[in-house]
Amino acid sequence: MSSYDYEGSEEVKQESSMIAKYAAVELLVPIDMYLSAGVHIGTYSSNKYIEKYVFRVRNDGLYILDVRKIDERIRVAARFIARYEPQKVVAVGGKPYSFRPVEMFARFTGAKAVLGRFIPGTFTNPYLTTYVEPEIVIISDPRVDTQALTEAIEMGIPTVAFVSTDTKPSGIDLIIPGNNKGRKSLALLYYLLTRQVLRERGLLAPNQDLGVSVEEFETKLTTVV
Amino acid sequence: MALASRFTKPVIVDEISTPICISCKRSIPPYEKAVAFLCPNCGKYVIWRCRRCRVAGVPYRCPVCGFEGP
Ligand SMILES: [Zn+2]
Ligand SMILES: [Zn+2]
Repeated sequence: MSSYDYEGSEEVKQESSMIAKYAAVELLVPIDMYLSAGVHIGTYSSNKYIEKYVFRVRNDGLYILDVRKIDERIRVAARFIARYEPQKVVAVGGKPYSFRPVEMFARFTGAKAVLGRFIPGTFTNPYLTTYVEPEIVIISDPRVDTQALTEAIEMGIPTVAFVSTDTKPSGIDLIIPGNNKGRKSLALLYYLLTRQVLRERGLLAPNQDLGVSVEEFETKLTTVV
Repeated sequence: MALASRFTKPVIVDEISTPICISCKRSIPPYEKAVAFLCPNCGKYVIWRCRRCRVAGVPYRCPVCGFEGP
């Protein structure tokens, strides 16, 4: 099942029951935008911790996340992050599809981005040149960014993480459910988190946009080796 | 003077000041690397999670706004 297309086939994007259910609900972006980015695409496994964010299970066993719950958690996460000084926020992205989204989040919000291989000791060893002392850490994928998560636990640093249905929220203080494997999904999730953090800080008006498109948050396919 | 007053007024560490884990209600010893943060949702309550509850993913609930994490 690892070969599943997390960018979302046309078929998986047609979540008509979810569209109907949330027709009258105001989301951060129109539901079509969420669905076409595939933020709702889970995996073929689930656990009791993530169950409450699941909208339904398809006949083939694929778990579909609830877009409204994703939307709500992005808002809560933004309030949470906005209470910290920008430079005390560290966002971690270990795999290529998270590079550009994390980099853009950091650029717009003033956070620090830690991309690629996480050097052990980055949060724990003051003698390292890469040493940082975050007050809050954002994890793109707990299954990939394991070292960062371990060190955040070790140091007692609060964590926010994008979590899919295949992940147990060990060491995570705030879950943002979502597809953290797809390129377009990661771009939209970070785009919305960025925009919402700036709105919470009062740097953007409550309905103001970032001034760049979501595509600017996408890792370009050519840059991924 | 400053030195003298430091010795004449010892800091009393009251047991009541020991943080309590919001999930298991156990008091968290000072040497334990637990985590503390303001409720992500309302920001009005300091949530302490002991290391064990945090690692096990045990849910917590903010007594002010009812927010349920993680
Ligand atoms: Zn506990
Ligand atoms: Zn609260």
